[in-house]
Amino acid sequence: MDILKLSKDKFADFLATLSEQKLYAPQKVGESLRFAPVTENSKVELDMANTTVPPKSIFFPQTETLYSYEMGNTEMQTPREVDEGIVLGARPCDARALVIVDNLFAWDVDDPYYQDQRAKNTVVGLACNKPCVNCFCLSVGGDPASTEGLDVLMTELEDAYVLEPLTEKGQKLCQSVAAVTEQAAAEDQDGAKALHQQAREMITRKIETEGIPEKLPTLWDNSLWQETADSCLGCGVCTFLCPTCHCFDIQDEVEGIEGRRCRMWDSCMFKEYTLHTSGHNPRPTRRERTRNRINHKYSYFVQKFDVIACVGCGRCINSCPVNIDIVEILRQAKEAL
Amino acid sequence: MCNNANPYVPYVATIEDAWFETEGDRCVKTFKVTLDDAAARESWSHQPGQCAMVGILGVGESMFCISCSPTEGDFLRFSIMRAGKNTQALHELEAGDKIMVRGPYGNTFPLDEWKGKQIITIGGGIGQAPLRPIVEYVKANLDQYAGLTMIYGARTSGDLCFKGEFEDMSKSDDLNCHLTIDLEEEGWGYNVGFVPTMLMDVNPSPENAIAITCGPPIMIRFVLENLKKLGFADEQIYTTLENRMKCGFGKCGRCNVGNLYVCKDGPVFSYATLKDIPEAFA
Amino acid sequence: MVDVAKLKEIARETVSRDDVKYLIGWRQGTFGFRAAPHFVNKPEDVDQLIFSPLCSHNLATYLTGVEKLPVPRGQEADSRKVALMVKGCDSRAVVLQLVEQGYGRDSVVVIGCPCQGVVDQKKVEAKYPDMGENITAEWGEKTIIFNLPSGKTEVPREEVLAGKCLTCRYPNPLLADAGAWEEVAVWGSDDYADVQDLEAGNPQERRAFWEDKFASCIRCYACRNVCPMCYCEDCILDRLNPQWITRAVNPTENTAFHLSRAFHLAGRCIECGECERVCPVDIPLMKLNRKLTKEVRENYDYEPGLDPEAKPLQASYRPNDKEDFIL
Repeated sequence: MDILKLSKDKFADFLATLSEQKLYAPQKVGESLRFAPVTENSKVELDMANTTVPPKSIFFPQTETLYSYEMGNTEMQTPREVDEGIVLGARPCDARALVIVDNLFAWDVDDPYYQDQRAKNTVVGLACNKPCVNCFCLSVGGDPASTEGLDVLMTELEDAYVLEPLTEKGQKLCQSVAAVTEQAAAEDQDGAKALHQQAREMITRKIETEGIPEKLPTLWDNSLWQETADSCLGCGVCTFLCPTCHCFDIQDEVEGIEGRRCRMWDSCMFKEYTLHTSGHNPRPTRRERTRNRINHKYSYFVQKFDVIACVGCGRCINSCPVNIDIVEILRQAKEAL
Repeated sequence: MCNNANPYVPYVATIEDAWFETEGDRCVKTFKVTLDDAAARESWSHQPGQCAMVGILGVGESMFCISCSPTEGDFLRFSIMRAGKNTQALHELEAGDKIMVRGPYGNTFPLDEWKGKQIITIGGGIGQAPLRPIVEYVKANLDQYAGLTMIYGARTSGDLCFKGEFEDMSKSDDLNCHLTIDLEEEGWGYNVGFVPTMLMDVNPSPENAIAITCGPPIMIRFVLENLKKLGFADEQIYTTLENRMKCGFGKCGRCNVGNLYVCKDGPVFSYATLKDIPEAFA
Repeated sequence: MVDVAKLKEIARETVSRDDVKYLIGWRQGTFGFRAAPHFVNKPEDVDQLIFSPLCSHNLATYLTGVEKLPVPRGQEADSRKVALMVKGCDSRAVVLQLVEQGYGRDSVVVIGCPCQGVVDQKKVEAKYPDMGENITAEWGEKTIIFNLPSGKTEVPREEVLAGKCLTCRYPNPLLADAGAWEEVAVWGSDDYADVQDLEAGNPQERRAFWEDKFASCIRCYACRNVCPMCYCEDCILDRLNPQWITRAVNPTENTAFHLSRAFHLAGRCIECGECERVCPVDIPLMKLNRKLTKEVRENYDYEPGLDPEAKPLQASYRPNDKEDFIL
């Protein structure tokens, strides 16, 4: 199917058309930017570096009901399947993260909740014209205009967007907006490509990953982990904001006679994450927890699924309260190998 | 694995019988449980070593080893120590009460591979729970194994689980049962001393043998040392690991030791696998 | 003013002492306008120490945040001191930790660093966006000087300093064992303008304000973990039995979390502003804490963390204390 051009003055119409389905797009929640359902009063923010919280929150909500029940009764109701929807404005790194996490949620046992959301949503990506200072997607198999995990790739030109459908779902979406778009001219397509190239050249941070997945665990007792953990506060910023972090807790939430068994994001940086009921903790300090976080992303996950569980979005670096910097950790690891 | 379309949704089950194995703050209570749904009972199949999520709606669920062998009948047994929020609530349950079960999860002891061998279980305290299915399985199929040696110890005689079940261990020459407690007690007719020491006293031959150990971490450490002294190769030594778990099938992330998930790749591991994973005995 | 060369000399002497385990100070960060906590274990690590307007972190949180492992049998616990660099606000945390007996006076060596204000990263990053290179900063006369790749630039301090510094009344450390400094003049004053605008609204407006802010909370607990006064070993947020606040992230539980924390800090918040600085979703937490600080000052004439001999607020009953809150 053809590549389309959406003039910016038709953007409101474009949104209106897409909103006929459930539409998620970046919006301000409090002071943060995240994906939220678009309603009549929504102010969609596509002029951004990236959202504070990645779009994983749509596919894997921070708190999600697995099933509900009435206290004293053994009947369990699972939530109904979700409606079809559209995710507009996901950065290519965050969409790639979905493809990476797909591996885990489909591993041996299918996760019905995540997979339902994945099947029902069409992901419209927004190529990264201006990577942020801590972006390093190129080092971990990504690209500012990567199409992995996307159904449509959108590129912002000065006064228009170029829409490239990539999958059947994407083609369907493009057909639905035919009335507000036109065929993209060759120069628009070239303009988009030039912007992609320009973005690539703007990325300055990089890591060398060769040999890391195989050899990182050999640095088990290296002082690097203690040095990193010294300043670590043990909060969940890095993991909660990470588009590939997928760990969760399961707990019962009861209000009156209404009960729900929910899953909620959990963080390997919390001491309770591995704490046994006996009081024993196999990862007793932040040293072990930091080591596990990095090893999981750069070695364990790769050994299982053959892909690094990091897309180089830079959120963990940008938001760490104490400047723990994964690029720096991996530089030191590489040096020590 | 649950036959339910949704792996998070447990089966409803009924407690057929429940009794205390030990007394005290951290007492152990055993539950004999049957799944309510006939189709679920039909599709459920577990082997020694496997675990299940057991819980109560409105409280939570925790992972426990299934402490019976399929050779014992069409039911499940869980021997649960009172420790935290979930186990305290579970201990309140009695025969006739409903309980939620999903599973079975994890790998199994390779009992088929072990056919023809001498099986040695070395357990401490509640650590006998995952070993009990091996004992029962081998007892039921004794003609297929060279024999069974069970070494089991606890702090006091009151802390030994499954006490009524050891008498038939003297019925055959192929069965050996060695019970021990840490300190001398009046009326105790068996051994006194720590499990690792008991192991040296029993002095089993590594020839055509498999040793499986489970118990407190400190006991496991010394049992492993002693098994090596006795000449057991890494491949002849097995143990089960436990870690905090939430899903049971490799999604929630927390039970990993190195690149292995205890819930899927374990809980049964040979020492040959574990010895290279620095986190395994953390 | 702090003589940084002299400060490094003191740091070097301190970490060389047999009775000092390590020293905690600041170093330049890995990008942009960032500094990072720096753990100095050996004298040569002193070279990386800095003291500049980028040194926002209140390092006192590390004194109470150490995860202690059981001492192996036959070994003795490491009883050496920890040395710590503190600004004025940070020193209040140390004073209050001592008042609350979080640790003993002889377990710390406090190195004082009078402070002319630290920059607000959000303000400075908005002013100079996309600054990937590592930028150093220094204090000028009522200005902050940034060493940008394009050269030095001097900015009036009001434009870039953190809100807490614009109202700071304690720029000089209130407790120090050593220091290389002359006191800096107090130049801020505090009329609680940030609290008053909220007080002016009605309860519905205030509720709407906070509901909007708390809705964005992801419960990463960075605010709690960075707080030097949040050091309970068994925090109510982590307890499962009984579970006071559930793990579900929703407006009710988020509100319960933030209000519980604010009340636990009433009369204990030393206004270092770290909670607000580290919040990844920019919840204005200091507005909440400072409302309670203001109440405590007005009603009980009490400010925490000023005097090592003072009692904690909750332990300092006076017969003329207001009791009009008792129903």
